[in-house]
Amino acid sequence: MDNNNPLSPHIQIYSWHISSLVSISHRITGIINILVITLICLWVASLLLGETNYEIIKFFLKSFFGKFLVIGIIWSFSFQILAEIRHLLMDLGYGFELRTSKISGLMVIFGSFILTVFIYIIGS
Amino acid sequence: MVQINLPPNSKVLQGDYYKDKTGSKNIRKVNIYRWDPSKNENPRIDTYEVDMDNCSSKVLDILNKIKNEIDPSIAYRRSCSHGVCGSCAMNMNGKNGLACTKSHSELEGDINIYPLPHLKVLKDLIGDLSTLYKQYESIEPWLKSSNKNNETENLQSIEDREKLDGLYECIMCACCSTSCPSYWWNGEKYLGPAVLLQAYRWIIDSRDEERKERLQKVADELKLYRCHTILNCTNACPKDLNPAKAIAEIKKMLATT
Repeated sequence: MDNNNPLSPHIQIYSWHISSLVSISHRITGIINILVITLICLWVASLLLGETNYEIIKFFLKSFFGKFLVIGIIWSFSFQILAEIRHLLMDLGYGFELRTSKISGLMVIFGSFILTVFIYIIGS
Repeated sequence: MVQINLPPNSKVLQGDYYKDKTGSKNIRKVNIYRWDPSKNENPRIDTYEVDMDNCSSKVLDILNKIKNEIDPSIAYRRSCSHGVCGSCAMNMNGKNGLACTKSHSELEGDINIYPLPHLKVLKDLIGDLSTLYKQYESIEPWLKSSNKNNETENLQSIEDREKLDGLYECIMCACCSTSCPSYWWNGEKYLGPAVLLQAYRWIIDSRDEERKERLQKVADELKLYRCHTILNCTNACPKDLNPAKAIAEIKKMLATT
């Protein structure tokens, strides 16, 4: 409709709840993961150029900022995997009741942190 | 198109402050979205101090009290005041619902009342739902049957009738559709939870003979699959129905037939 009437406020005023938070985070982590996978591919490709490249990347990943980045990436992957499993179950028609969706959403959020710690410990 | 910010003519400004004149000790601040089509101004938020000692329990009672006692110029839709007609659907403290069934004691702090989100405002709390009604018409919400026998009843088994539970109760108040971010960004093309729940109501009806055609009609990337199970719809429904589940059932039927 092309009239000059104002548009009523939407995302500015609408309150968040577990399900909508998980949904938007799922999208954001998805975008981050695509960027990260590209980065990892570039890193692997750079190994072909010799040992110094490997040393530089190793040095960076051992630094404080590098560790922070690695943990962030692991969390992003963990969240994506768990939220995706939740999505798959929903595609099968389960978990649409308000209580169930809230519980499964909380499981995704807390589970992603637990999985992050788990993966980090195994990795190191 | 995803547009997070409101267009310039929709930016909400600070409006008038109506101080309490009754001298009551039990005062509650109510912030209400106002826009007057006869003036060339931006929308504004007017604040009213309401005497809660002499106010009944629902949000609609507050609005009626303001209209009757403080400011008669305020416009909002209402009719049955018993949660049956769906007229007084609005956004209260960040969540869509019916003003006539929402108790103000459930809302914390100051009460913020806005029109249903992402609609063209006609006046104050009244949004334009004509797009939604057109989409409702597009799913042809009536029984399609070759049975022209008007002498006998069109019978249905108890099990088949039970499939309509949780669907036929919908009052088309639009709380769900206007709570859905997907509907905000793709409202012209995506049918939205309210209309899809109605579509499913006719798809699953054992007496209807055009199930296949109905399914094919909604099987569209934009019309149906813009549902990303955000579940704002189910959270908002004042009749405790589950539009998200209905949409999932349509997707499932399409995937398995």
